[in-house]
Amino acid sequence: MSVSLEHYLILSALLFCIGLYGALSRRNTIVILMSIEIMLNAVNVALVAFSRYIVPLVLTGQVFALFVMVVAAAEVAVGLAIIIALYRSRETVDVEQADLMKG
Amino acid sequence: MSLKLELLTPELSLLIFALLVILLDLGIKQKKVLAGVSILGLLVSGGFVLTLWGRESASAFNGMFLVDPFALFFKLLFLIAAGLVILASQDYVSKFARFQGEYYALILISAIGMMLLATTGELISIYIALELSSISLYILTGFLKDPKSSEAGLKYLLLGAVASATLLYGMALVFGLTGKTRLTEIAQAIQTIPLTTLLDSPALLLGIILLACGFGFKIACVPFQMWVPDVYEGAPTPITAYLSVASKAAGFAVIARFFYTTFGVPDWLSLNWGILFASLSAITMTLGNVIAIAQTNIKRMLGYSSIAQAGYLMVGLAAVGVASMADTLGRSGLLFFLASYTLTNLGAFIAIIAISNKIDSDLIDDYTGMGSRAPLLALGLTLCLISLIGLPPTAGLIAKIYIFNAGVHYGLLWLVVIGVINSCISAYYYLGVVKVMWLGAPVSEEKVPSSWALRIVLALTCLGVLVLGIIPGKFVQIAETAVRIFTS
Amino acid sequence: MPHQVPWLIWLSPMFSFIIISLILRPFFNHHPKLSGYTTIAAIGISCFLSFWVLIEVLKAPGHRLEIPDIQWVVIEDGISIHLGLIVDALTAVMLIVVSVVSLLIQIYSQGYMHGDPGYPRYYAFMSLFTGFMLGLVMADNLVFLFLFWEGVGLCSYLLIGFWFHRPAAANAAKKAFIVTRLGDFGFLAAILFLFYHTGTFDIERLHSLAIAGTLAGTTLTWAALGIFSGAAGKSAQFPLHTWLPDAMEGPTPVSALIHAATMVAAGVFLVARFFPLFEHSKVALTIVAVIGAFTAIFAASMGLVMNDIKRVVAYSTISQLGYMMLGLGVSGVAVGIFHLFNHAFFKALLFLGAGSVNHATGTFDIREMGGLRRVMPWTYITFIIAALSLAGIYPLSGFWSKDEILIYSFKTQPFLFTLALITVFMTAFYIFRVVFVVFGGEYRGTKLAHHSEHKLHESPAVMVIPMVILAFFSAVSGWLNLTGNFGEFLGHGEARGLLEGFFGILGKPLPWLSLIVAGLGIYLAYAMYSTRRISPEAVGRTFVPLYTTLSRKYWFDELYERIFVGKTLVNGLFVGLEAFDTYAVDGSVNGIADKTIATGRALSRVQTGQLQLYGLFIAMGIVAITICFYFFG
Repeated sequence: MSVSLEHYLILSALLFCIGLYGALSRRNTIVILMSIEIMLNAVNVALVAFSRYIVPLVLTGQVFALFVMVVAAAEVAVGLAIIIALYRSRETVDVEQADLMKG
Repeated sequence: MSLKLELLTPELSLLIFALLVILLDLGIKQKKVLAGVSILGLLVSGGFVLTLWGRESASAFNGMFLVDPFALFFKLLFLIAAGLVILASQDYVSKFARFQGEYYALILISAIGMMLLATTGELISIYIALELSSISLYILTGFLKDPKSSEAGLKYLLLGAVASATLLYGMALVFGLTGKTRLTEIAQAIQTIPLTTLLDSPALLLGIILLACGFGFKIACVPFQMWVPDVYEGAPTPITAYLSVASKAAGFAVIARFFYTTFGVPDWLSLNWGILFASLSAITMTLGNVIAIAQTNIKRMLGYSSIAQAGYLMVGLAAVGVASMADTLGRSGLLFFLASYTLTNLGAFIAIIAISNKIDSDLIDDYTGMGSRAPLLALGLTLCLISLIGLPPTAGLIAKIYIFNAGVHYGLLWLVVIGVINSCISAYYYLGVVKVMWLGAPVSEEKVPSSWALRIVLALTCLGVLVLGIIPGKFVQIAETAVRIFTS
Repeated sequence: MPHQVPWLIWLSPMFSFIIISLILRPFFNHHPKLSGYTTIAAIGISCFLSFWVLIEVLKAPGHRLEIPDIQWVVIEDGISIHLGLIVDALTAVMLIVVSVVSLLIQIYSQGYMHGDPGYPRYYAFMSLFTGFMLGLVMADNLVFLFLFWEGVGLCSYLLIGFWFHRPAAANAAKKAFIVTRLGDFGFLAAILFLFYHTGTFDIERLHSLAIAGTLAGTTLTWAALGIFSGAAGKSAQFPLHTWLPDAMEGPTPVSALIHAATMVAAGVFLVARFFPLFEHSKVALTIVAVIGAFTAIFAASMGLVMNDIKRVVAYSTISQLGYMMLGLGVSGVAVGIFHLFNHAFFKALLFLGAGSVNHATGTFDIREMGGLRRVMPWTYITFIIAALSLAGIYPLSGFWSKDEILIYSFKTQPFLFTLALITVFMTAFYIFRVVFVVFGGEYRGTKLAHHSEHKLHESPAVMVIPMVILAFFSAVSGWLNLTGNFGEFLGHGEARGLLEGFFGILGKPLPWLSLIVAGLGIYLAYAMYSTRRISPEAVGRTFVPLYTTLSRKYWFDELYERIFVGKTLVNGLFVGLEAFDTYAVDGSVNGIADKTIATGRALSRVQTGQLQLYGLFIAMGIVAITICFYFFG
């Protein structure tokens, strides 16, 4: 059995859902950030697979994936900075505690 | 193929000024200069935009970078919004001991992101532009570093990241279906696929939904609106103003271009997302208005109000979808509404910045008797609130007439009826603030002082609101030219 | 002429209002005079442009200018809203009246309002009023006409209650607002009724529909009557006349401008503007004439016994407005508007004279005055000219227009002619009663002890000069129609020679009749109040019931008090209505409002502040949309 596009797409969808579940259920903000990384990487898998199977001669999907990684890194850097700022004022990284504003 | 760098001059010049601001911040003691340099940068960039205005539509980088009236219209809008926000930040920024340069530079950089967003016609660059503007805004939201601001920043960042992952997945699906990343090529590819309904192609269906959701987060429509009130409340008020107008306008710019170019043909496809936006529009405006009534904090109230306004804007979007090939009407209403909304909402927030900064409270109850404590600010705020309701003689009225006219014209009468009912509901909470300000007995006799910068900016926005409301003819023409590129 | 000129006429005072309220009041409060200068400059511009427009209209074929509409909002295949102006002979005449009188009164007010703490506010409102009034006479469709109509009403309300700390002023303002609103209700109904039947708000289209006979029969009559009810409210015609005398609580220049020369004349103007509609409905036109004639005599009779100089002049205003309505009813636009034109000058002058007298004596009660002719010669002379003009004495302006009204009513409605003739007598009597009591005899002032006669003084030049100019107009404005030109300009009558006009009229019997009647009135006043050959007290005692009836104003105030406020007559009805209002109307309205607010509260509770809940909503939203597409797509 050879690995086909479907396999990659199913892997990507599963990864995306796992990431989403993590982002919605974990309490630790760091872990939530990591879950979001999983979601982005799921997309990367899909992009590269599409590129490989649909347009094998051009590298659009791969390039797209590279850009996504770069942006994701920037996003995580900012995220960590904000989490640190929050930790300094609240002494917690538990997302459930962040409910000063509601209603 | 030449680089055609002159097409990029607005963005490049602004980038240079943003870097210049950061560099100057290192060496300069007098921080007011930084604001001046930033404004200068915006003016220079605006000048370049104006020199490009009126030329033939052109593109650079293999069709990635499109310079057409539509893009230029939005670029001007973002530049104006950024300029007004920077002017309105004067009092606020002087509170920070450090990082003033970064504050201005980030506003400029996010403006660059939005300008790119309005001007690109390719998946990868759309994503990059979106993230460029968003990441700057995440930082700005958490800029105060106090518990509320950090919490707002965190909420905005995490939800924004989830939304952009969703968007990316949608993009990946569309890319996978067509093998292209340029919007025009995607459109051609879709037309070659033999389809009769959306259900025939789950990839396209899911792609459209995920894209709509990703962009929907940016414009804050239901069900992606829940971050809005919390983030608006926690962010520094000038940034809230910026978020509520520029970021939203950028979202609409990219949706209008993306959906119209990519999914505009065939008609049934266009109808599908037209109806999607129409339904979301109805829910969005109703939910926004109804919850706004219950608010006691004016920033939160304006947050919900901006959700409702997004609902009205989506009427225009829906009209475009429902009648994609008809003519420019729907989009013309959309652009005019955005211009009017930008000025009006900025004006309202500027007045709030001025008042809240001095009385140290965002509660509507503390605005009691503001008519006698700060008559000019109260007058400006009143005018902007009246424009948000859509009463004469303000821009809001004309904008609503336009966009609702488009709705009626393309058979969305039910949606317009809901819109009109919603306008009536909205009058209740907007006028509530007006009533409190003018008829309530002041809590204290003390006058509320305001700086000249704020007064001038407020006067400018109010003037804009009135000019658009009283002599809209010229601006309507501009808005119509800006969308004509799509009909050819 | 550039097409912007007519627009600028009414926008100029509006700008003045904006400048005063947004710039001068907040920032230059220590220099209140600036607001006066701004207003005078703005209205001066309007005045100059009005003359320009008049000259253009005189030259134009058919005496009307085509002003291209401003395309305010135009959407392809969609809504289009045009703004336009009518500039015809009627407009041109009204523009002159309003801008000239307003300009003179603004100049006069500098002296009268000197030192008042509300000085900038006064000028802001006066500018706003003038802007609305000038817009009103030019509006080309019913919606804008109504907006301006309500605008002048609002300004009138604000200015009557200008000294709002006085309860009498506040009450008078409220009364004026409510009573005129009753008339406006009819006007609004007529507007909607007309729109329902014709589908247009455009005034000229309505004219052509009425002329073509498309708009006819009872529809036309009801529409015309609705319009007349608005006119009657604004022009204080019976039975909506009660607010005008009370409105004298406002500053005197306000009374002169708004409640004598311009706003109250707007009712007459409205009937003139819609004259093609009235012309084609015999019933409506007769009602206008009858109400006018009755109001004329009815108000004049009350003016006979008033002791407050402003109230005498106010009743005189109501009476003269009745004359104008009569003129419209019996003969048409030209005659009624000619009287409006002349009346504006001499009535404004009478009010300014009253203000000048008040400025010197500090009171409006004529019993507290006397002998002022010696100390206030200018006021005295100008007041006499205005009084003679009002009484209709040859060759002053009032004579010419009143005479035309009498001639036409004699031809068509002999009974109304009799009423009008009696009114001529009353008018001459009451105004000269004021003249003799105020200016003749010796000073009787007791109210202000320190006001001994030598301290009484003539008013300052800023007040006197406008009065002299108005006196000039009061004397000669009637001569404009000597050759029949004024009438011809407004589309009525034919031209004749100048000398024939000036002296020829004396060869006819009717003018002599009215002159003799007026002369009798003046003589009676002279006999009673100057030489005292007939004792006024004795007359009062002889006719006690009549005197009481008149001085209590026919108990109309009490009657309205009972009907509208006291709940004695219609108590049951009110209780019923109130119950309906509370339980049905308020109940459902409040119910909906409460439910909406409660829903808002409930929904905002979903907003828990929990980040992941928000994320969950996004995810659920995506799933829900997908499901919807699956089922409905």
